[in-house]
Amino acid sequence: MTLYDGQKDGQYTVNGLYLEEGITRRLQALGLNDGTTVKVLNRRKKGAMIIQVRGTRLALGKHIAAGIEVVSGSKEEAGKEGRSYDAN
Amino acid sequence: MTQINGKGPIHVAFVGNPNCGKTTLFNAVTGSKLKVANWPGVTVEKKEGHAEYEGEQLICIDTPGIYSLTCYTIEEKVTRQCVMDDEIDVIVNVVDASSMERNLYLTLQLLELGKPMVLALNMMDIVQERGMEIDQHRLPEMLGDIAVIPVSAAKRSGITTLLHAVVHHYKEGPKGDILHYSEEIENKIAKLEVMMQAHYPKHSSVRWHAIKLLENDEEVRKEHPIEIINVAERSYEKEIIKRKYEYIEQIVGEVLFHKEKKAASTDRVDRLLTHPVLGMPMFLLIMGLVFFLTFTVGDALKGIFEAALSVFSDAVQTGLTAIGVAEWLKSLIVDGIIAGVGGILTFIPNIFILFLALAVLEDSGYMSRVAYVMDSLMGRVGLSGKAFLPMILGFGCTVPAIMATRALETEHDRRKTMLVTPFMSCSARLPIYVLFSEMFFPDCAGLVAFSMYVIGMVMAILVALVINRMEKGKVNDSLLIELPEYKRPNGRTIRIYVWNKLKDYLTKAGTTIFIASIIIWFVLNFGWNGRVVSPADSFGAMIGHVLAPLLVPAGLGMWQIVVALISGISAKEVVVSSFAVLFGVSNANSAAGMHTIVENIHAINPDFGPLNAYALMVFCLLYVPCAATIATIRKESGSWKFTGGMAVFQIIFAWLMSVLVYQVGHLFL
Repeated sequence: MTLYDGQKDGQYTVNGLYLEEGITRRLQALGLNDGTTVKVLNRRKKGAMIIQVRGTRLALGKHIAAGIEVVSGSKEEAGKEGRSYDAN
Repeated sequence: MTQINGKGPIHVAFVGNPNCGKTTLFNAVTGSKLKVANWPGVTVEKKEGHAEYEGEQLICIDTPGIYSLTCYTIEEKVTRQCVMDDEIDVIVNVVDASSMERNLYLTLQLLELGKPMVLALNMMDIVQERGMEIDQHRLPEMLGDIAVIPVSAAKRSGITTLLHAVVHHYKEGPKGDILHYSEEIENKIAKLEVMMQAHYPKHSSVRWHAIKLLENDEEVRKEHPIEIINVAERSYEKEIIKRKYEYIEQIVGEVLFHKEKKAASTDRVDRLLTHPVLGMPMFLLIMGLVFFLTFTVGDALKGIFEAALSVFSDAVQTGLTAIGVAEWLKSLIVDGIIAGVGGILTFIPNIFILFLALAVLEDSGYMSRVAYVMDSLMGRVGLSGKAFLPMILGFGCTVPAIMATRALETEHDRRKTMLVTPFMSCSARLPIYVLFSEMFFPDCAGLVAFSMYVIGMVMAILVALVINRMEKGKVNDSLLIELPEYKRPNGRTIRIYVWNKLKDYLTKAGTTIFIASIIIWFVLNFGWNGRVVSPADSFGAMIGHVLAPLLVPAGLGMWQIVVALISGISAKEVVVSSFAVLFGVSNANSAAGMHTIVENIHAINPDFGPLNAYALMVFCLLYVPCAATIATIRKESGSWKFTGGMAVFQIIFAWLMSVLVYQVGHLFL
């Protein structure tokens, strides 16, 4: 799933960024890397969302959210269930 | 300047993430009064200031905020160039202690530059408020023994200690490396360092450049065209970033305690202000409140200024007559300068309230939310929600609004935003609205004036939409902006903000408007045969008569209006000054002054009514911005062609819209 499919108040772990190089680099600098846990704080039905990552809040447009591959659950939970968050 | 070490002043760069308090700290250190607010992207160009510590002269440089040393937007390039400059002796890395995890990424990159560095741990008060603790002994240890100084930029504490550390570390020189990558990457860095040293023996930050070459950084590769393909067959950026964040997690784990105890108040406020449905109405309500206060409270305070101006004007008149000043000079001073400049000064209460409200809005942390709330609407016109921030700043003044477009990612988005931002009613257009809505719509003046703000916003979005359709542009949904915590606006920040704006306004009244008033007085009082009795024979009338027919379809075919509109290009307030000078009114913003102006207008054109006045306001809203804005757009776009094209478009657009208003309105009235 991608972050765009995420529900409000859900926790997810980043599993890959599939975006233009510039945006990818920017997200990585902001601390969104493979294995990072994010929480969806608020979202519009079809549009931007607000997420919490590394103690800060970011607003992400649909295009960006849809380019972030995630698995549900925090890093620890995702790891326990044997899902890979490190495939990339 | 006398120097102890004889090496000249120490150059200190303030570098850090957006919105971490660099400018507040810079202001506290240098005594400067630069603008500060609570949203990312307030500082868009570097600024210099001076400080002194125990005889050492410091030149401090404030830079736009950046998340990393990899650059995309103009502001990021500005900072990177500044930091890389060999002139910079010491880096002060300002870190927001309340979001240390993200801030330390830049810190690790800066450390790799190998320059003397001091870490200013800002916002410690917020950290304490939240019940968090930072181990201030372990943190410097983990960062290679650089100085870590807790400061509160807002409360101006820790400044002396910081200056001491800067001077001390400057003398001590840089510290060693702290972060080591995997063996594979370290080997490659070592090889690249050797190559760098061979090609550029005098280079100061070899390790940083080697790492950037491994990350395949375009700018570094362009500047240092070394054949690296044998060493770095691909980009190792991902591994390098990952390693840095791993190390940061390690640091945070060791130095930060009670991390989970976070204040939830921001999230509670956001539940309402960024609500999927209520977010937009809340924004409109807040802006409505801003303008409501501007008109009502501003008007209530106006009386004081009016009384003062009328006493002053009478005193000057009597004084000049008493000392026997020539009649023409008396006319210049009373009918030209006092009428032109004085009238403008009586709008100070409105301007004050407007900027006070905008300052509170900007310092609260709400601005970023507006970008989020407006994102879907802006996305449909091909811009990101971030492009709405310069537009809101445009309610204050278009010049800084145009500068703020620097935070946008592409040149295309910048130009589009620059094109529509002047449609947002700036504070200089406020006097025009106040004057004409009170003269012709006495019962609903506030509402009529407010409608101009709405029309401006709608026009800006419509024009952007049409451009997007013409370009067959897609929906823009690439918003990326940080949302800071809400905070209570800081009194000092608000004072600096409002005072700076009032000072600008007064300066403008004393320079541009002063000179414009003299010129207007001249063109209205002189003709080919010298001083004229009736303005109808003046140069102004001649110019006005040529162009007036063009404005007939908009119900504005008076030479006086043409003169006012042309002079308004110097500064929009001058439209009001012109009417005052034209009809010899000492205070256009008073009941008597307004009465005289209306009488004079009716003497020329008995049919000039509310509809004509409304068409005039629409024209003033949309036609070419003031000279200062045009110059800024030229500078920021770097193109005369774009600037010229924009001005022509805006004149035609203003004409079309005011004709539409007048002609359609005529059908119903």
